[in-house]
Amino acid sequence: MQDPILQIQNLTVDFGGVRAVNNISFSLQPGEFVGLIGPNGAGKTTVFNLITNSIRATSGSISFKGKSILGKSPDKICRLGISRTFQNIRLFPQMTAYENVELGLHNTPRYSLAEAFVRTPRAQRIEADTRRKAHELLELVNLEEHADKRASSLPYGLQRRLEMARAMAARPDLLLLDEPAAGMNEDECEELIQLIRRIHVEKKYTMIMIEHHMKVVMDLCTGSRIYVLNLGSFLAVGTPEEIQSNPDVIKAYLGERKNGHQHTHA
Amino acid sequence: MDLFLQQLVSGISIGAIYALLAVGYALVYSIYNFTNWAFDAFMAFGAIMAFIAIASMAMPFWLAAILAIVLTIILSVGTEKLAYKPLRMRKAPRLFMMISAMGVNLTIVQTMNKFFGGTFRKFTVDSVQPIFIGNVSIGRMDLLAGAISFAVLALLWLFLYRSKWGLAIRASSIDIQTSSLMGINNDAVAVIIFGLTGILSTVAGVFYGIKYAVYPTMGMITIKAMIASIIGGLGNLPAAIVGSMLLGVLETLVSGYISSTYRDLFSFSFLIVILLFFPNGLMGKSGDEKL
Amino acid sequence: MGYINAILILGGINIIATLGVSILTGYTGLFTIGHAGFMALGGYLSAILIKEYSVHFAPALILGGLFAGVASLIIGYPSFRSRLRGDYFAIATLGFSEAIRLLLNNMKQLGALNIGGSFGYSIPSGMATVPVVLIALFLALLFAHMFVTSQYGKNCIAIAQDEVAAEMMGVNLLRTKLIALFISAFYAGVAGGLMGLFFAYQSPSFYSITQSSNLLAAVVFGGIQSLIGPFITALVLVAAPQLLLVLEEWRLIAYGFLFVLIMVFRPQGLLGYVEMNFNFLKRGWNKLFPRKARRGEVLH
Repeated sequence: MQDPILQIQNLTVDFGGVRAVNNISFSLQPGEFVGLIGPNGAGKTTVFNLITNSIRATSGSISFKGKSILGKSPDKICRLGISRTFQNIRLFPQMTAYENVELGLHNTPRYSLAEAFVRTPRAQRIEADTRRKAHELLELVNLEEHADKRASSLPYGLQRRLEMARAMAARPDLLLLDEPAAGMNEDECEELIQLIRRIHVEKKYTMIMIEHHMKVVMDLCTGSRIYVLNLGSFLAVGTPEEIQSNPDVIKAYLGERKNGHQHTHA
Repeated sequence: MDLFLQQLVSGISIGAIYALLAVGYALVYSIYNFTNWAFDAFMAFGAIMAFIAIASMAMPFWLAAILAIVLTIILSVGTEKLAYKPLRMRKAPRLFMMISAMGVNLTIVQTMNKFFGGTFRKFTVDSVQPIFIGNVSIGRMDLLAGAISFAVLALLWLFLYRSKWGLAIRASSIDIQTSSLMGINNDAVAVIIFGLTGILSTVAGVFYGIKYAVYPTMGMITIKAMIASIIGGLGNLPAAIVGSMLLGVLETLVSGYISSTYRDLFSFSFLIVILLFFPNGLMGKSGDEKL
Repeated sequence: MGYINAILILGGINIIATLGVSILTGYTGLFTIGHAGFMALGGYLSAILIKEYSVHFAPALILGGLFAGVASLIIGYPSFRSRLRGDYFAIATLGFSEAIRLLLNNMKQLGALNIGGSFGYSIPSGMATVPVVLIALFLALLFAHMFVTSQYGKNCIAIAQDEVAAEMMGVNLLRTKLIALFISAFYAGVAGGLMGLFFAYQSPSFYSITQSSNLLAAVVFGGIQSLIGPFITALVLVAAPQLLLVLEEWRLIAYGFLFVLIMVFRPQGLLGYVEMNFNFLKRGWNKLFPRKARRGEVLH
């Protein structure tokens, strides 16, 4: 067994009087694909925000590839190898799909500032290489034909795929997906499952996926495990079958359904 | 020692004016997250309206001040509806809000410049003997200004922390979308905030006009108030007051002991130095973006 | 003839400074109404070097630009560093610009040097000829274009459109903003130096908020994320009042109105997002001189 690529211990965050995440601990081996589910407001996105340090943890530790990343700036964390998509899509609206993806590739420019002013042959080669890689990623998510369209003009489902491509462009080792299937219908979900599986196999990322679509989670996490978060704490962790038959989990979701929250089909 | 105390008094009185302006600035910033450049214009507008009321209509001072406040409130709320609200509804980036604010500022100030003229006018206030404590003289007007500023800020505090509407405003300052989902009327909040802006800027403008002079570009000192607000800690009302008093006093001391030429350069440099060691201001808490 | 020269030269100078502000505000999304201050620093330094130390005007201009650039970093670094995403920078540059102007206005002596205070500082004349300004303008435009189309420029654009997302995708915000700032201040500094060469005279009155407003206005009207838009607008803003003198009094009032109107109705300005490229030349040529398709080629 190798060293875990991500190790979280006793992670807690308080917002004023509210404890949004309460003493979470878990670890991931390189290449694993795990799910993170839970009722609305459970704190799932907050966990992602803590990992990427958009929110400062109140206490606990996070280490990535053996080193602590607590308190590091979000851009540094990304360059260290953690990338993500967002619950509320955050693409660069006026940039084309292509430009959005390319940004991930040159988040740190690959040539010097002087070379930017006088585009040397080396700089031009680097740009051509960057272009090539960006187009490859667009192909991988089936967005090549939309490459020159403004991101804000793309339909919702395509925007989600574009965000994934952009996140991958940042060359992560750990990829965090925040509700990639949100707003998708049955067919789109099926396509998405295939896509995510392909990405996991080809790129060999370690991945954590937050999702509400039960089918997507159960399908993609077969053979792996799912963490269930409720009110900031882990309620359960297990294989898809175990989770589906866990009475506490059912109660947590049922409780939500009773309050009128409609959850998408399992 | 006497010189020092005299400077201190002077510094505190300018600090009080800064405090009114800094709080007004911080109020808008903490809720809407942009710098209301038009604040500059409102201050000058309020002072000039009061001046016109007194000079050409021979209104008693207190009435003119109230009239000025009412007019500035109308101007301020009108600005919000016409120049800011459309952008806010579209979730326009901060840059666009600031450009619009600067536009309002330029329009109002330069229109006043054209029609009112740039010469310095003085409020004719009966000169009274200042109060003496030892060898230190304290102008009665300064005392009055200080007292009223304090009263205004205290009332504001009461409003924000002890009234229902104040609670609504504080909720909005944390998350404007959630608060509107909770039933808080964002339009009403906007009217209140910009109404308060109108009051604070007029009171500051009138006192500044009494202490120094009335002229269309008098609002330039709002930059100092903004600097004071940053030094204290952006978005935090008590911090804005602390920053203002600190800046007012230090600035006056520099002006008195070194030279007035360097006063503004000092204030600006002080800002840079503070930011180097206190990136969030002296009392600021770091903000986290909602994802 | 001298009149047209003056418009070309002043227009060119204005365009150079505007290109700098375009990079900072149009491309990186950072509001500035204080760039006149950087023009003042560059202007005065180059003037002093030319007059007192007999430095040739070309290196003097560059040094002026560098001086302004370094000063901008001193302001920019603490302003951009904070996690509290405040408007520190906008306020700091405004405060800085005004402080510099007031200082220069009141300072008759700089150490042993007489720099004239509000009376101004005269220097030998005749160096800002049309060819000189045109060359400077060409270089300024060329390098600006190279920058904004480079990976650095694209990172700036990402910051303008969604700073938080850019940071999460690994862009170092502080470094990128400082680079954009340095370049914009450099351009302003060079422009300030050229002003001095043209007027044979430096004066604090050149560097007022009105000057800063001119630069910002050219970018707002000309267009966000565009070089060609502000280029045209900057030229128009210099030329127009000369032709319509009566409008000059209303200039700032007009700016004010237009700022609000543009933000409400067309925030991207006249030519926003229109990137300079030479495709339109190629297409125009092909329209004028249509050619038969070669084997396998498809003509548009």
